[in-house]
Amino acid sequence: MKKQKMFFRMITAALIRQHSRMLVALLAIAVGATILSGLVTIYYDVPRQMGAQFRNYGANMLLLPSGEGEFNEATVNNALGVVNKENLVGAAPYRYESVFINEQPVIAAATNMDGAKAASPYWLVNGNWPAAENEVLVGKSLAAVLGVKEGSSINVVYGEESRAAKTEADAEKTAEKKDIKEKDIKENKAEKSNETDVSEEKEGMPFTVSGILETGGSEEDYIFISLSDMAVLTGKGGRLDAAELSISASQDELKAYADKISAQNSAVSPRLVKRVTQSETTVLTKLQALVFLVTAVVLLLTMICVATTMMAVVAERRKEIGLRKALGASDSSIIAEFMGEGLLLGGVGGLLGVIFGFAFAQAVSMNVFNSSINFRPLILPVTVIVSVLVTGLACLLPVRNATDVDPALVLKGE
Amino acid sequence: MFFRMIFRALFRQKGKMLMIAFTIALGASLATAMLNVMMDVGDKVNQELKTYGANITVVPKQASVINELYGLDESEESGAYLKEEELGKIKTIFWAFNVVDFAPFSDTHAKLDDGSEVLLVGSWFDHHLELPTGETLNTGMTNLRSWWEITEGRWLDEQSGDKNAVMVGSVLAQKNGIKANDRIRLTTKHGSEELIVSGIFDAGGDEDEHMYAPLDVVQKLSDTDGKLTSIEVSALTTPDNDLARKAAKDGPKSLGAADYETWYCTAYVSSICYQIQEVITDSIAAPVRQVAESEGAILEKTQLLMILITVLSLLGSALGISNLVTASVMERSSEIGLIKAVGAHDGAITLLVLSEIIVTAVAGGLVGYFAGFGFAQVIGHTVFGSAVEMKPIVIPIVAVLVVFVTLAGSIPAIRMLLRLRPAEVLHGR
Repeated sequence: MKKQKMFFRMITAALIRQHSRMLVALLAIAVGATILSGLVTIYYDVPRQMGAQFRNYGANMLLLPSGEGEFNEATVNNALGVVNKENLVGAAPYRYESVFINEQPVIAAATNMDGAKAASPYWLVNGNWPAAENEVLVGKSLAAVLGVKEGSSINVVYGEESRAAKTEADAEKTAEKKDIKEKDIKENKAEKSNETDVSEEKEGMPFTVSGILETGGSEEDYIFISLSDMAVLTGKGGRLDAAELSISASQDELKAYADKISAQNSAVSPRLVKRVTQSETTVLTKLQALVFLVTAVVLLLTMICVATTMMAVVAERRKEIGLRKALGASDSSIIAEFMGEGLLLGGVGGLLGVIFGFAFAQAVSMNVFNSSINFRPLILPVTVIVSVLVTGLACLLPVRNATDVDPALVLKGE
Repeated sequence: MFFRMIFRALFRQKGKMLMIAFTIALGASLATAMLNVMMDVGDKVNQELKTYGANITVVPKQASVINELYGLDESEESGAYLKEEELGKIKTIFWAFNVVDFAPFSDTHAKLDDGSEVLLVGSWFDHHLELPTGETLNTGMTNLRSWWEITEGRWLDEQSGDKNAVMVGSVLAQKNGIKANDRIRLTTKHGSEELIVSGIFDAGGDEDEHMYAPLDVVQKLSDTDGKLTSIEVSALTTPDNDLARKAAKDGPKSLGAADYETWYCTAYVSSICYQIQEVITDSIAAPVRQVAESEGAILEKTQLLMILITVLSLLGSALGISNLVTASVMERSSEIGLIKAVGAHDGAITLLVLSEIIVTAVAGGLVGYFAGFGFAQVIGHTVFGSAVEMKPIVIPIVAVLVVFVTLAGSIPAIRMLLRLRPAEVLHGR
């Protein structure tokens, strides 16, 4: 018991006595441990944070009607129940109808505006998103054709007969937008001759253009209205053509979700948007590999730096070792004492490193991704153990060398 | 005498000096590797993001909407086309080097033998192109549709003679029972052609219901020789800033002369679009916002992340180096005491110690630079499969860093030593 007490006293006394030198060593270890814990935290957080960035590409899963049973908002909500709430970035249900504006056939897409905003963050709206009733978002190229601007009003007419024809087509329809458009156009063309009089009789609904939509894609040829307006316009609600989901998950996780959804609900046929999921996997894997390699290189080098510093610190104390030996200390007790010192330093440095490292990772995350990170409890023991091991190893070598020396020579100062 | 002292010191304390040089080399290699990777990561990630496909589409100026809306079959009469012979010009614009891939598209409706109508798209698959500038280039759909999964057969190989071949989307193939290596006959009102199915692809989108054939086959079938309906361009771009947004919003003409110059000479997606419009007659080049916007965001984040990691590792290596240098200078208190006792001036001592350290630092820094460059290459090859470009700017940065850090580490220690009294130091206190 007494022996142990003495041991601790020797260690702490040595540390305090040589405070400036020990501070140097402690600083080196703390910096090393900071880099370790900071980078490892970032490494684990990169897929999640970057994954969120990749959601800028928009929907990565489509829910389409499989043809068996009703496909409506309830069906979609039911399917959404499968997806983990935290991972769901956005979900936009879509219903496509062909309508007439100034007697020209136009595709009207009805959706939930908040959902569309979240699922397709790349949409650029000049003006405002529709918020109130009877507001419409007009695609850029369509707006040029119609000659409308933000604030203009347009009259949207829905032809009842085209609806009947469309329902037939629905059965075999897969809801890719372009396809719908083509089919609708064909229907419209076919019907236009005999239907123009019908649509003229209809009064239609006045809409205010709240904004012009720019995407660089086929959406620029559509108008977008809310689902409730569409229900009023067509006199029927509920039915949907598709739902776009933006889920923050890897390709495999998405596949699992898709399987679950189709197993649970036979009316829904989920499809992955390969272009987005495949590419995301490719790029994300590379990015993570990059951070991993960088972390590995930085860690390796910092550890060597810590080790050399510790070696220098221990090598300086040859005189002290000589004195102890002259007083009759055994080699093993000297080694034990120095190791004890080293390990204590390693532990304290490691703890400091965990704190600073987390602060650093948090700062990086806030600056780069504007979101905070969670503390990973596992980092704490790993960092402390690694820094204790590195300092221990770094001490061992010079201490063993030092015990080999002849105390008389060392004390004489040679 | 001075040099002799320095060299003697270096050789006498071989072990110690080697250790300092080693630490400095490590620090310098870390700095070099991180700086090189950081400066190149933008280009590398940009290259990777090209798997998302084209970020610019070029369409004929006469609002194609009308044609599309009123029916695709009549488009032959409407005459809104791009000219195929102008395609090569895309590689002659100011930012030609940033244009990675491009492919022309031309489509037509065709009938299968059973009477069902399909959309037949003509394009380049892996087209070998000889540019007016004398360069050659392989480009086409194999690059622009890298996410296609070939479920049966193989990619259509344009160069090795798959002249009369076609690739069929998985949904269409399933619907019509088409298999790889089948022969199918496609008929339009301008003729008919028998094609071999080289492969079935799964694109996970509406393309799964279309057929893709070489451009000239489709042009022959639709009687539109030398005419294109659209061009897709994949270009490396710089993320948009305020200037680019202003140019995109109000048009480049609204910029002042100086701003216009800056905008034109920066690889913004809007300036590349503008330059494409300049060389392709009657065209509208528009950024595909889904790709262009996301690329910008991801690129910015990655670069910022790498910058912060680099700063951390630079800080770490700087502290490591200056730590060790301080420790090694402090160690030499008795030597410095002796020199002082013999009658050296403070200035002379400082110069002596500093020169020693700097010689060591330069040697270590040199080794470190090359080692770090090696590290950067390892990272480049493992992660991106291509070399990391050597940036000359890294050399002065690393040099300044090493010298500054060594000086910062040694000067306070030297000043402290100079304050000591020689008698005390030599006495061993």
